[in-house]
Amino acid sequence: MSNEFNLKRKQMGIWFTLPTVIILILVLIYPIFASIVLSFQKVRFLGQGLSKEFIGIANYISIFSNHTFQSAFIRSIYFTAIEVVAILSLSLLAALLLNHPIGRHSFFRVVLIIPWALSPVANAVLWKWIYNANYGILNFILYSLGIIHEYVVWLGKPWLALNMILLADIWKGIPFITLLLLAGLQNIPNYLYRAAKLDGANTWQQFVHVTFVGLKTPLVISAVLQSIWALKVFDLIYVLTKGSPADSTVLLNYLAWRETFSNLDIGYGAAIANILFCMMFLLALAYIRILRPRQTRRGE
Amino acid sequence: MNSYINSKLSRREFLKITAVGSAGLAMSQFLSGCAPKKSEKVKMNVLVPAAPDPAPPGVAKFAEDAFATWQAEHNVEVVYEAPPWPQLHDKMATSFASGKYTYDVMYNCGWVPEFADYLYDFVDKLPADLISDLPTSSFSTVTWKGKKLGVVFTLSLLTLFYNKEHLESIGVKEPPKTWDELKGVAKELTGGGRYGWVLNYGAPEGIGGVASYWMVYLQQVGGKVYDENGNPAFNNEAGVDALQFMMDLMPYTDPGSISYVGINDATNVFASGQASMMMNWPFMYTAASDPSTSKVVGKFGTAILPAGSAGSASIDGTDAYTIAKLSPNQDLATKLIEFYLDKDIQKRQVLDTGWLPIRMSVLNDPEVQEKAPNAAVVLEQAKYPYDSFVTPDYNAVTTAIGVEIQKALSGAQTAAETIQNAFDQVTEIIKKRQ
Repeated sequence: MSNEFNLKRKQMGIWFTLPTVIILILVLIYPIFASIVLSFQKVRFLGQGLSKEFIGIANYISIFSNHTFQSAFIRSIYFTAIEVVAILSLSLLAALLLNHPIGRHSFFRVVLIIPWALSPVANAVLWKWIYNANYGILNFILYSLGIIHEYVVWLGKPWLALNMILLADIWKGIPFITLLLLAGLQNIPNYLYRAAKLDGANTWQQFVHVTFVGLKTPLVISAVLQSIWALKVFDLIYVLTKGSPADSTVLLNYLAWRETFSNLDIGYGAAIANILFCMMFLLALAYIRILRPRQTRRGE
Repeated sequence: MNSYINSKLSRREFLKITAVGSAGLAMSQFLSGCAPKKSEKVKMNVLVPAAPDPAPPGVAKFAEDAFATWQAEHNVEVVYEAPPWPQLHDKMATSFASGKYTYDVMYNCGWVPEFADYLYDFVDKLPADLISDLPTSSFSTVTWKGKKLGVVFTLSLLTLFYNKEHLESIGVKEPPKTWDELKGVAKELTGGGRYGWVLNYGAPEGIGGVASYWMVYLQQVGGKVYDENGNPAFNNEAGVDALQFMMDLMPYTDPGSISYVGINDATNVFASGQASMMMNWPFMYTAASDPSTSKVVGKFGTAILPAGSAGSASIDGTDAYTIAKLSPNQDLATKLIEFYLDKDIQKRQVLDTGWLPIRMSVLNDPEVQEKAPNAAVVLEQAKYPYDSFVTPDYNAVTTAIGVEIQKALSGAQTAAETIQNAFDQVTEIIKKRQ
């Protein structure tokens, strides 16, 4: 009787989850599969849809010997590494301030959330005006304070342009990670701090041995999520520089778009997108592993 | 009552009546189906850019009554999709890739060779008097493999715009006519927070990208991007000279130019009076004449582009209307384009939006010449070469050339190195296409 009930229960469960599974197959699995297939094809616009020809791994061979891809790959890694370190550091600082009795007023949280609430394109347009070489507020402020002696073309030099886009993306990324870390901070029991004080720990020691340890999981989750988001950056590049000057702000996601939609080399663009997908998939696996509840050994 | 029916109507009779009734109903339905129907409105889907880019009536604010009348007369409902200009190419590519009908009429800008296999060859179906009123050269960018696949609807060539007040301040009464004069005037005008020249060098690709500006200078020294067999033909003195001139202008160019990704960024600098000269499309005349956004109202002039060793030259904006091969309404779509090119509509286009007409009779109309004095200048510019060198891989080619040019303009490599690198990349792109 019990077995029959369990069987029926399982069958019902399958029926209930089936719509979700079908939707996931249609909107997630199929596009991923189609993109993988496309990356092994030479796709041409020859009328009546697309003309597709199987070419094996030629697109991947071409990618790895392509200087533009190599440069974009290195820039993407640099962009992601710096962004993750900067956002985590600044967000931790912001979360600590917001967790302080003075910073607990809701006003600060509302102000904090503004950059995150902005739509990506609106954010990019905002930064376009901030960085404008002639009328930008950044030049105006720095010039007024005597920090610069002539207006700077922030998006005019390769290395500078990449870092200015990085700065804009860091600004947008801070609020969410701050809220994530703030939630983590508020989960650290107060008695741990009281115990540390009784043991004679100073503020720094409390931070290192209580706060930092308590925030370990939120910090790792933030690092993984932010890495995925940094690898995906597109809007800022599209609006601010279009990859310029001299391709210095072309990152992998933008390159995939350019090859696919601008140059109409769909197979090649799909191959770049798949490499990016693999990188993000590995990060997503790490994320799932971190979130997985730890198994306790019998008897513990 | 019920008992009465039950007593008078047997089950068999009831079934008979029901069957006869049903047959009558079915017959009436059949007959009504055979009767001539009142024709339903045809829905036409049209993809165009949002204003202020060149847009048709119904998107831009002109000739709205005439457009409503045309729709009523033809029993057509025109449904516009008018995204910002940069999204058009992606939308069209996605639509064609799907292999399904999406749009009847589409705006095209240098992409005709790229999408040639998806476009309907309709131009010969347009009235002869309309075709004869269009500049023959306007078909060069919409013709691929001998087929005319689109009609340009605005004469959009780059010409010189200059600040008359600035030029007069250094004792120059006429706009520069040669490269040497342009460089000399730009040098003298630069200083005190003002620059002699401004342009958008931020985007490498497409018409209006940095590569297309180099093509202007290339033609001014008699160069071409491709030879008659379609192979790259710019790795020569003309290619290097054209780029060297751009590099020589850089000390007198607004340094922000290298970061401006759109023409509007550069237009704003000129309109604010911070730069004295630029090359721009005809729309600039209206934009710089608007006192709410411009500080140079009444202070600027326009002229043909200064000549290099081979004379003046420009490029074509190639704003054209095309029809999809999969459109079920190709005849109506042809009529709609004919309406867009009607003399009255073309006249309202220039008077109300500033976008010049393409019909010669309208360009020469005294009222048009009075309200849009740049029309005469653009007509004069059209006497010189204005090839945009569009091919199916125009975006890839201009990206390759543009990125190399940006390196040269930033001082990272010489003109000769740049042209050699660009030539090698374009050769590869062409090889890939073949």
